[in-house]
Amino acid sequence: MLRVTVCAFLSMMVLVSTKVLSALEDYVIDPTHTYPNFAVSHLGFSTMYGRFDQTSGEFSIDREAKKGSVKITIDTATINTGLKKRDDHLRSPDFFNTVEFPTATYQATDIKFNGDDPEIIEGNLTLLGVTKPVTLTITSFKCGTNPMNNKAMCGVDITGQLKRSDFGMKYALPGVGDEIKLIISAEGYKK
Amino acid sequence: MSEWLNHPALQSGLAPFLAALIVAALFDYVRLSGLVVLAGFCTVVYLTLDFNFESLSITKKIVLSGLVAGGIAPLLAMLPDHWWFVRYVLGVAAGAVTLWVFWPVLAQKNLLDGRLLASGLTVWVVWLVVFSDFLSTQSVRAGAAGMGLGLGTGISAMLGASALLGQWGLAVGAACGAYLILQFMKNRSLSCGRTFTLPVSLLSGLLASAALLLARLPWYCLPVLAMIPLIVRLPIMQGMPIRIQVVGFSLLTLSIVAVSTGLVWYTEGTIPL
Repeated sequence: MLRVTVCAFLSMMVLVSTKVLSALEDYVIDPTHTYPNFAVSHLGFSTMYGRFDQTSGEFSIDREAKKGSVKITIDTATINTGLKKRDDHLRSPDFFNTVEFPTATYQATDIKFNGDDPEIIEGNLTLLGVTKPVTLTITSFKCGTNPMNNKAMCGVDITGQLKRSDFGMKYALPGVGDEIKLIISAEGYKK
Repeated sequence: MSEWLNHPALQSGLAPFLAALIVAALFDYVRLSGLVVLAGFCTVVYLTLDFNFESLSITKKIVLSGLVAGGIAPLLAMLPDHWWFVRYVLGVAAGAVTLWVFWPVLAQKNLLDGRLLASGLTVWVVWLVVFSDFLSTQSVRAGAAGMGLGLGTGISAMLGASALLGQWGLAVGAACGAYLILQFMKNRSLSCGRTFTLPVSLLSGLLASAALLLARLPWYCLPVLAMIPLIVRLPIMQGMPIRIQVVGFSLLTLSIVAVSTGLVWYTEGTIPL
């Protein structure tokens, strides 16, 4: 009986210590402060900007083990460039084909750290049913307590670049640019 | 040069027209002028997208269906004329192809909407395939119907917010236009058969369905365009010179295209390019 009790106690201690040592923190995306923005050349004359209004997902970070994960789902039908007619066109099969492919997802495969903070996210973007690797650079990362609601949270600014033709989005090339710049701002609350 | 190749007018008009003209002239000797539709369609797909089937999306399935229909049609043309039931077998097959192409989107809908859309689109495609098949021995009427269906689908899809589907439809129309012009110049009929009617009807049907389902083509354009294979069967201009028939039946189908275009224009207006 004593041996069973000791074993159970030790197992519990191991579990607790693993949890403490791993320092893994899980966050859920705050959709009201998370917006993937994009920039694309319009006929070489100017740069047009747009964003997706609805994003969901979660991320986790373990600063001691220098590990983390990211999974983001973007509702592509919420594309917003400030002009309804253009947004309708962007939702059509010419571009995002949102009826057939209502979401785009990004899943990190590796996160590289600079000191205590994450700096580079390597992962796979699935868009229009095609999955390709996309690397994102974190330009700002801050965790703390939100003074408005006293909840623990992290915020991040991210940049990246991709070629839309890699995902089969080839309409109006090269007039509407192939290179898409990503500027993503995201926040998440600790679970 | 690449700037020219990227111009929509060349991609969906001039290039498919020229490709179709060459194919119609060359293959008339082996009675396969009907391959114009396949030639025009392959040209526009090559210039606007590619033949990469890595992600088998709805648009890629339409390309595949067009290629297969164009490929098997010459074999179907060899079947005996008195095998009337082939027409209905093709209709059933076209219905099955429609469900296969659009299943990923239909499956996302609720039961009632999904069934309603599936039946409506299937009836529309089967209608076009079966009634176009009646024209397979009348090259002028089939050509005018093909031009009307291609242009009608193309312009409507373009105004319905999908320029890509629009360009593909316009290319089918341009290819049929080349087929008609050659008949006008020679003042004689070219070979037709299912090599022409099957791909033109299937592609037009699928492209319009995609524009309705994936973009914003109003549903009421489809019954208007469905009149095209019927109106060219009117017992008029029989025995008249081919040139007169080409002009007459083209005007007839283009008038329906005008009605369809007007309907979409009224609802959707133009697209921002």
